Amino acid sequence: MKVLPPTMRENKRYLAFELIAEGNSIISRDELIREIFSASGSLLGDFGSSECNIWLFAFDNNKGVISCNREHVSQARAVMATITNVKGKRVLFHVLGVSGTVLGATKKYLEGVDVFNPEEQSHINE
Amino acid sequence: MARPVFYDLNVYSAPEGKNTIEELAAFSSRLEFGGIAIINPSGSSQPVKAKKVHGFEVFSGVEVRVDNPSRLHGMVGKYRKNTDIIVVRGGSENINRAAVENSNVDILCGFGSMKDNGLNHVLAKSASDNNVAISFDLGEVIVHRGGKRVRTLSNFRKDLALVRKYNVPFILTSNARSCYDLRAPRELIALAGLFGMTKEEAVYGLSTIPESIISRNRPSSKYVFEGVEIVDGMPGDATVEGDGQ
Repeated sequence: MKVLPPTMRENKRYLAFELIAEGNSIISRDELIREIFSASGSLLGDFGSSECNIWLFAFDNNKGVISCNREHVSQARAVMATITNVKGKRVLFHVLGVSGTVLGATKKYLEGVDVFNPEEQSHINE
Repeated sequence: MARPVFYDLNVYSAPEGKNTIEELAAFSSRLEFGGIAIINPSGSSQPVKAKKVHGFEVFSGVEVRVDNPSRLHGMVGKYRKNTDIIVVRGGSENINRAAVENSNVDILCGFGSMKDNGLNHVLAKSASDNNVAISFDLGEVIVHRGGKRVRTLSNFRKDLALVRKYNVPFILTSNARSCYDLRAPRELIALAGLFGMTKEEAVYGLSTIPESIISRNRPSSKYVFEGVEIVDGMPGDATVEGDGQ
C-alpha cells in the first residue's frame, strides 16, 4: 500500500509537559490516559474531543509529550489545565513548550530537564 | 516586543489555604510567574507583609469579606495604607455596588452566583470610572464539572461582553488555595479562550492590569499622582522638570 500523501496528513502539534505530583510520586501512564480522556470528554464533549484529537504520545518519569490537532492547541491546553488529580494524588499539569515535531519537543523542552520536586525547593536559588 | 511579566493576584496561603508562602513562591516561579499576591481574608489573620522569596515578588494583600456595605468602606480605609492589593469578595448586589463605587478597592472577585453573572451595565460603568478591576476566577472552571462549569462559563461570557463594552479593567486568576491549584499563565490564557477571550486580552489581564494596580499602590519616588510621573529630563536641560505622561 502506498503511504498517505503529506498534504492529506493531519497537522499536529506536540506539547511537552511535566506532571508535578503530590509527594513526588510517579504516575502511571494508564492512569494519566484515563484522566486526560475523562477531562477532555467533560470539557469538550465527544465532538470537541474528536476535533482536538488529544493523544498521549509518550510518558515516562512524570515527563511526556502529548499530540493534538494544530488548530486546537489552546483547547488542548485548557483540557490539561482542568486535570486536578490522578488516582487520588493531586497533580499540576505544566506545559513546558509546544513544537511541530516530536523530536523538537523532546530536545528543546524535555532533555536534561528535571521535573519540579515539591519536596525540595532549593533549585530556585540558582 | 518585550516578554510580558505575568502576575496572579488572588492566591491564599496558610492558614486560609494549605501551603506556606515559600512553597507557593517556589511553585509560581517554576510556572514562570513574575509575582503573586497573597490575599488572606481580613479577620482571620494579619495581612502578609510584602517580601521577596529568593528574588520572587510576593505582594501583600487582603480580601475584605463583609455582609454590610457600610462596613466595607471602613475596612478598606483601614487596610489601604499598608497593603498593596485590596480585594473585595462580592456576592450580593449591594456589596458589589459598594465595592465598584469605592476607588480605593483594587479588585472585586466572587461577584457572580449560580443564577446571575453579578455584573450589569451600571456596575460595569462604575467599575470602569473608579478603576476597580473585575476578577475572572478561572479556578471555578478548573474544579467544577458539568452543570456548574457550564453556568460559570456562560456567566464569564456575559461579564466579558460588559467588560468590552464599558472598558472595565479585569484580571485573570487561578484563585489558588494550594500549590496544586496554581496554573501557568499560558494555561490561564487557554482557559480564558473557552469563553471567547482573545489571547491579547488575556495577556492584558494577566500582565498589564496587575502591573498598573501594583504601581498605583506602590508609588515610586517619581510618581506625582494618577497619570503623572516625572520622567528623566532632556540631556543638556539645565533644570530637570516633571513632565506629564
